[in-house]
Amino acid sequence: MRQEYAWRSLVLAGFLGFIGISIILQIVRIQNSTEANTFRQLTADYANVTETFYPDRGEIYDRNGHLLAGNKTVYELSVDLKNAPDKNAIALAVGVQLGLNPDDLYNRMANPPEGIQNLVLADNVDSDRAAALQQLKTAADAKAKESGTTSSLDGLGFWAHPQRSYPEGSLASNVLGFVNLTRRGYFGIEEKYNDLLAGNKVNIVVPTDPSKAGDIPRIPNGTTLVLTINRDLQAATEQILDESLTKYGAQNGTIVIMDPQTGEILALAASPRMNLNQNENYGDIFRNAAEYDRAISMPYEPGSVIKILTTAAALDSGTVVPSSTYLDTGELLIGGATIRNWDNQAWGVQDITGCLQHSLNICMAVLSDKMGAQTYYGYMNRFGLGRLTGIDLAGEAAGRLKIPGDSDWYPVDLATNAFGQGVSVTPIQLMTAASAIANKGRMVTPRVLLAMLRDGRRYNSSTQYAGSPIKAETAQTLNQILAVSLEKEASSALVPGYRIAGKTGTAQVPTEFGYDSTATNASFIGWGPLDDPKFLIYVWLEKPSSSIWGSETAAPVFAEAARQTILLLNIPPDDIRNQIAKP
Amino acid sequence: MQNVNYTVNHFVHAYKQAPWRIQRQWIGAFLLGIFGLTLAAMLYLDITSQASVAGRNIQDMTAQITSIQLANSDLQNRLAEITSISAMKERALALGYQPIKEGQMEYVIVPGYAAPKPSILTASIVLKPAAPSQPAQYTQSLFEWLDERLRTPPSTSMIGITQ
Repeated sequence: MRQEYAWRSLVLAGFLGFIGISIILQIVRIQNSTEANTFRQLTADYANVTETFYPDRGEIYDRNGHLLAGNKTVYELSVDLKNAPDKNAIALAVGVQLGLNPDDLYNRMANPPEGIQNLVLADNVDSDRAAALQQLKTAADAKAKESGTTSSLDGLGFWAHPQRSYPEGSLASNVLGFVNLTRRGYFGIEEKYNDLLAGNKVNIVVPTDPSKAGDIPRIPNGTTLVLTINRDLQAATEQILDESLTKYGAQNGTIVIMDPQTGEILALAASPRMNLNQNENYGDIFRNAAEYDRAISMPYEPGSVIKILTTAAALDSGTVVPSSTYLDTGELLIGGATIRNWDNQAWGVQDITGCLQHSLNICMAVLSDKMGAQTYYGYMNRFGLGRLTGIDLAGEAAGRLKIPGDSDWYPVDLATNAFGQGVSVTPIQLMTAASAIANKGRMVTPRVLLAMLRDGRRYNSSTQYAGSPIKAETAQTLNQILAVSLEKEASSALVPGYRIAGKTGTAQVPTEFGYDSTATNASFIGWGPLDDPKFLIYVWLEKPSSSIWGSETAAPVFAEAARQTILLLNIPPDDIRNQIAKP
Repeated sequence: MQNVNYTVNHFVHAYKQAPWRIQRQWIGAFLLGIFGLTLAAMLYLDITSQASVAGRNIQDMTAQITSIQLANSDLQNRLAEITSISAMKERALALGYQPIKEGQMEYVIVPGYAAPKPSILTASIVLKPAAPSQPAQYTQSLFEWLDERLRTPPSTSMIGITQ
């Protein structure tokens, strides 16, 4: 009996041993077979997945913490073709929710590109529509579970990802620029600081084996930017500009408000503007890139506003003093060309205040002639004409200042440049130059960035000075002259309660055949309060039709912009400020 | 002579193990080996499963973090839309407010008053430590540990630096 059990045990042990040895042999055989390398390669291929992590694009705020550019969640809708039993149902559901043609969707699913298993049906679907589709899918899944069948929307997938969003729509669109679907910034801040805002994408090898899932390094978001823009003032400025364009029949316009002591741009309104959430309309709104932000990208002949620089140069160089006079005969022959005043009249004996008050071209031609080309262009060069100001916005243009030695410079240019003809500048260039007069001789570099926020730390942007083209005494003298000239003229640019310095400009528009006498660029540059300037405002209206004169169009626009600035920045009238200063 | 043979046989018989005893010793040793292997396999399975669960949790939490970040951005964006200047202006006008005009503003001198700065300009130090680093002991299997030990070269003396 015991022998029989022993025999059975031996047979069973032998059988089990045989199976065990067979398994081991098979393992060894597979590991050394011709396919072994293929298996190893497959294992290695599927062991890790390289994923690209894009940091969230940094946000953009105005100086008071209002969000101007943020990120919202949108969805990519895709279908797993191998696991989608009912493509018709998916096409219908997606088509109805997104307003797409279900037949087209079905055809795309039925005839996918070769090798594609996960087909993207739609991208950048807003969260409301995606949520509606998700509800449909949930309902279909529940129904299928009850009936024990597969869901009709099986295979439909949702992938959430961030997309740039501009909660204020078109507000400050000329300053902000926009980000397109390729995550690249275009124009304005978005382009200038694209690298900072976008952050650095990171490629990480992620093991598919969950037991090997380890640390995913924290990917810092893009840098958040705080701008110098004041949202409320920006909105008010844009409203003033829009109303002015209608009121004066101008084709386009620009109003820029800057703090002349720090260079901070408080508001920059330009036309046209674009709803940044619909930036696909860019081509319909703008004919070329220079039109995106006229304040920095579109040089033009400014006309008489440049007289403040000519006068500053003449005073600073000692060529004249405020009481210097000249006899205005209504005509002046220089370089073979006759210079005339805006009204073709002779104004008799005039001092420097009279020159600016009546905006006399002949006076400016006399001043530049007295200074000589070297001195005059030396000052214009120090004021930064013909050079970029360095404002931190993409697409700045340098304008053109012809100088002796240039092939297209003629002696008459010395005279015409002095009253703003034959020289092209951008509004921001003239503002930068004028900041020297408003800011005791020191010229500031305009800037839009106030601070950067990164990893909980704040990095402030500081005021940059762009030189001192004139002495502080010259600036003080010229401030008084400009204020008096406005007051004597009873300019419509004046703001009750505040002393303002400024100058109008009316420039004929140059064409291929000379100057167009029917179309002008109307401008005004001014700043205040005179004793402690808090705002420097530039107004440019292109081809106003109600009046060609800057004094009748741009000057009242300046006054309105100044009034709003005073209200929104809480700048008390001169008499109250003097009480604060001398308690 | 017979006595000597008897003594030797008796001695051999007394100290020679019985066949069944030898058999049991072999079986015992075999079972001990099986037990050891089973213990190692159980430990391996246990560690591997724990690591897998931890890995899954990490993956889930990573997905949650991404999802929460997206939701936060979305909410922030919606809040900004609700408080946008056009929306606020519309609501203010609906409530009967009017934009202030020149001359309506009254300025009051308050000695020592300083207007508060907007919160966005206040540095907020948010500590964001990197994801905690997991020691290898939490993720390494017994075999991986053994493999590492075998592959790690013995510590060597300091390498001289020449200038």
